[in-house]
Amino acid sequence: MALSLVNFVVVIAAVLLIIGLMVVNAVIMVYAERKTAGFIQRRPGPYEVGPWGTVQAICDSMKLLGKQIFIPGNVDWILFFAAPVLAFFPVLLLFLPIPFGPYLTALKVDEGILLILAFAGFGVISNILAGWASNNKYGLLGAARAVSQSVAYEIPMIMALLGVIFLTGSMNLTQIVERQGAWPWQWNLAVQPLAFFIYVVSMVGETNRAPFDLPEAESELTAGFHTEYSGMGFALFFLSEYANMLLVCCVCATFFLGGWRGPFLDGFWWTFIKAYALMMFIVWIRWTFPRVRFDQLLNINWKWLLPLSILNLWITAVILKFVD
Amino acid sequence: MDQIITHFLAALRAPLDALEGLIASWLPGQQVAALVAFGVYVLIILAGGLLAIGSRNLVRAMMGLILTFLGVAGFYLLLASPFLAFMQLLIYVGAVGVLVFFAIMLTKNNTQGEEANLPKLSNGILGFLAGLAPLVALGPLIVLYGPKIGEKSYQATDTAILGRGLITTDLVSFELISIILLTAMAGGVFLAWRRRPQSRSN
Repeated sequence: MALSLVNFVVVIAAVLLIIGLMVVNAVIMVYAERKTAGFIQRRPGPYEVGPWGTVQAICDSMKLLGKQIFIPGNVDWILFFAAPVLAFFPVLLLFLPIPFGPYLTALKVDEGILLILAFAGFGVISNILAGWASNNKYGLLGAARAVSQSVAYEIPMIMALLGVIFLTGSMNLTQIVERQGAWPWQWNLAVQPLAFFIYVVSMVGETNRAPFDLPEAESELTAGFHTEYSGMGFALFFLSEYANMLLVCCVCATFFLGGWRGPFLDGFWWTFIKAYALMMFIVWIRWTFPRVRFDQLLNINWKWLLPLSILNLWITAVILKFVD
Repeated sequence: MDQIITHFLAALRAPLDALEGLIASWLPGQQVAALVAFGVYVLIILAGGLLAIGSRNLVRAMMGLILTFLGVAGFYLLLASPFLAFMQLLIYVGAVGVLVFFAIMLTKNNTQGEEANLPKLSNGILGFLAGLAPLVALGPLIVLYGPKIGEKSYQATDTAILGRGLITTDLVSFELISIILLTAMAGGVFLAWRRRPQSRSN
């Protein structure tokens, strides 16, 4: 319990920086996503506001801030307002243990990855609450899908991370980065390729992104669990969705891609380069593959990813035993 | 850039240490801070429990239960076992809470079912007695034989020590718990299997 004042100040500063990061990340990703979508679908994307449409995302967020907050009839309004707040605030905690750089780590805890996984559960609860509290059948259907999807994809995700934890012998994210080398063949990707594949698939599933975006499938459920949210309520969901994407990408970069280790010069830029490369990969996947059916989604998880991750864990344990 | 941050933090450290000393001179010590945290967690747990049993709406009751889980995780943190605290959140909030939600999600928010009416007084008294039973059974033992406040200083336990304990000194209890969980899982699969006579595979 040696939480000195310096650590306290560092954590407070980190939370403020994380809020900034979340906003900047959302603005950049909206622009990047719309431009990429435009490129893939052979249309220009946003190009009217500002040079090459760069100011479009900022204008959109201004519009969102000015929107009326609409409360549908017969809702449980305490939970209706609690849901977006519950989606937003845990995300601030989730970024604290991420080692962005050798010195740029807000909270060096031994159970860093557990902290992230533990508080990530609140995101699921906020989705359910939003769907249930808005008294809307689309919202409820979206929430029901979100639950079964998140609960299912969390398991192979944790199992894939466990493979790396077996190798490193630590749940401290900084130590996991330090055990990896600078070059790609020294990363955990080289020794845990199956775990990396499982993690990437379940990370797309966990963040409800296409092709696994069934909780908010536009063509079936209008907008899923956040159908009834407008203005800031919607903005909070939106911010936390993009922040969650960045988070799972940062965790992936830390666990499998060497974190801040990189060729030539170690530093926080490598974490960001790797994380944003993964983000662009997710965006690319979204605009390339069609949405899967719900039974297919669950079959991929329970019949493929889960056995594969158990197999990966078993192989890792056996090899470790023989190497010892 | 990282070096700049380190230098900045190092430069910040000296005045902050001085400030810390100043604050520590008139701030209550760690013992008092732990007591305050204890009080806050107790309030969270009690408020969550009251919400869970007093709410006439299942989803709100569930939120109360989740609040209680949070408070219990805080207790684990106070006992210097962050591993247990995070596992508590991961398992109870992230998995158990979410699955219970899944079961009660189709209830309406203007409740019309049995839970909408106040329970009978006799049921309330019986429930209160049932809740009191573990307190009566375990409370005296803990008070008599448990560690006294301030007697033992808790150190953060390494997860490796916990794991080694599970496969050496506590192996039997670990295996027994595994058997219980396995039986429960097999039972769950068995029950779910019977309700679906012909599952169509694709």
